[in-house]
Amino acid sequence: MSYLADIFLIALSAALINNFVLYYFVGICPFVGVSKRVEMAVGMGCAVTFVMTIAAFLCWIITTFILMPGAPLSKWIAGFFVPANVAAGIDLTILSYIVYIFAIASSVQFVEMYVRKFFPALYRSFGVFLPLITTNCAILFACLTIMSKIVGVDNPADAWDLGRSLTLAIFGGVGFTIAIVIMGGIREDLELCDIPKPFQGVAITLIVGGILAMAFMGFTGVDVGLRNAIMPL
Amino acid sequence: MADQPTATERFIQGILPENPVYRQMLGLCPVLAITNNMKAAITMAASVTFVLFCANVVTSLIRNLLKPHLRIVVFTLTIATFVTIADRLLAAYLYQMSKTLGPYIPLIIVNCIIICRCEVCASKQSIFIAGSDALGQSLGFALALSSIAAVREILGTGMFFELRVLPAAWPDWVIMALPPGAFLTFGVMLAAVNWISSKKEKN
Amino acid sequence: MMMESKDRESTGSSSILERIKKNSLVQGWLVLILALFFGSALASVQLSLGPKIEMNKLNETLDKVPELVLGASQLDEMEAKNQKLDIEPMTVNVDKNNKKVSYNVYKTTYNGKIIGWVVKTKGQGYAGNIELLVGLDSGIESITGLFILDQKETPGLGNKIVTEKWRKQFINKPTKNQLIVVKDGADALNEIDAITGATISSRSVSNILNIAITDLKGQLISG
Repeated sequence: MSYLADIFLIALSAALINNFVLYYFVGICPFVGVSKRVEMAVGMGCAVTFVMTIAAFLCWIITTFILMPGAPLSKWIAGFFVPANVAAGIDLTILSYIVYIFAIASSVQFVEMYVRKFFPALYRSFGVFLPLITTNCAILFACLTIMSKIVGVDNPADAWDLGRSLTLAIFGGVGFTIAIVIMGGIREDLELCDIPKPFQGVAITLIVGGILAMAFMGFTGVDVGLRNAIMPL
Repeated sequence: MADQPTATERFIQGILPENPVYRQMLGLCPVLAITNNMKAAITMAASVTFVLFCANVVTSLIRNLLKPHLRIVVFTLTIATFVTIADRLLAAYLYQMSKTLGPYIPLIIVNCIIICRCEVCASKQSIFIAGSDALGQSLGFALALSSIAAVREILGTGMFFELRVLPAAWPDWVIMALPPGAFLTFGVMLAAVNWISSKKEKN
Repeated sequence: MMMESKDRESTGSSSILERIKKNSLVQGWLVLILALFFGSALASVQLSLGPKIEMNKLNETLDKVPELVLGASQLDEMEAKNQKLDIEPMTVNVDKNNKKVSYNVYKTTYNGKIIGWVVKTKGQGYAGNIELLVGLDSGIESITGLFILDQKETPGLGNKIVTEKWRKQFINKPTKNQLIVVKDGADALNEIDAITGATISSRSVSNILNIAITDLKGQLISG
């Protein structure tokens, strides 16, 4: 029961309270660049969510079994070359960033192939934006958050399992989609307004984004209240 | 190749005319996330300088060996390695700052500025030109970060580099230290830069 | 292109060479060499900087321990006489309602006599986790110090829990009763003044302390 409550709180926090775009500032480039129309925004949001989930899955598996200090697979392979007690201390976290970015690139390739095969019209409308998802900060940020919850905890029992990691990825993507869809809707209306010349383009988008971020600040502390209500100490 | 910009020209171009943040709109994530205070902004700018310079130099060294369809892989590998090195150096020598900057240092890997410069400049030019291009762009990036961080820190806490600049009676505009303040400040500064450059063009 | 294919047909052996050249593994030789080169560079960075980073992580807490147990003035006295406390990190496991909770505790002794304890604990704040170090005297009867390690509270409001002025309130508070945060004028021995406009952050800190002290009171004295 408390596992489900934990999952619920992680999901809520990732989607609304600590929204990836409006609180952590990751995924700003598509937020500012792509969100001119709501359909494009929804498509981009779904693609990012999809890629983020696959990338988080790969990252969790690789971190837990290969990269983290004392990981099972590395320990077993190292056991062939060095004595067992040295192999137990193997720590490959220095390679994390390189491995993650290649895992993300592979996820993007995989999603690209899938979309090209099953949704050709969508693929054409995406154009160059699909491969560009590789450089989307939000996906790498999700992987880094998962890594910090596995490698950075003092108590190994607190390390995140696959369920929590996937929840963070899926609902982080949902939060990203919410943010850029709202932004897309606002920008559609902004095109009918008379904006002063210096503000046209990215500047007014940022200012609107700031007001949106202020609105989302209203969610602060909701997870604390919910946590106290659901899981009384 | 006579009309290619020289090394000094590239250096100067990178600071204002082709400023990576205000003109090219690249690398916006750290601009919003790290500009809470000047110290963090300068540390981030220094890290980006290190990674951009090393990546440009290495890419320029191997530019004749790059196969077209594998070049992005090579760039990514190079950049990720130097970012890891920068991250470990910060954790070893500036531990508190490394904790403050947190996940934003590894996010330099996906910072569009670095991949863009590798692709556009370093993979085609000599080491000297690539190096000065890197330094110019990094200086421009540092300028952009500092301009926003200065505004946010002074208005948000009354301090600059953690030294009090405004009188204690100043009611801190706390919103400046929070996420919305980042968006608003950057938006207004960008509008100011657009206005100034359009005035210059008119003259 | 036509010439090329004719050449390829006529010379069978060179076509194998062509196929080898086109193989992606061979084309990727640069990537492989770079990977090896960068891999060894990273390994050397890990070997040289790894220990220093571990030391930084440990010292972050260890540096604070003497002051939390002794207080600033007594610490100055000891340092003037070139005396140092012995600090022994330990993990204390507590069984709570069938859940195992473990605490990082630092036992400080001098010449074999227990001077005090420092407990590292964390809990939910207003906007995220608050991680703190609390100093307790040798009999766990009063609080000797408080230091906030990590927090994400609102700057300008909840953020003020890190200020010395607010943390000083906790020194010499008895552990006999739970700490209560009040909004207007702390009177009783177990009352703490809340930060104006940041009641939740203030209460989070007192909650974290109450839980830790309740959990560890029995464990540390007997153990």
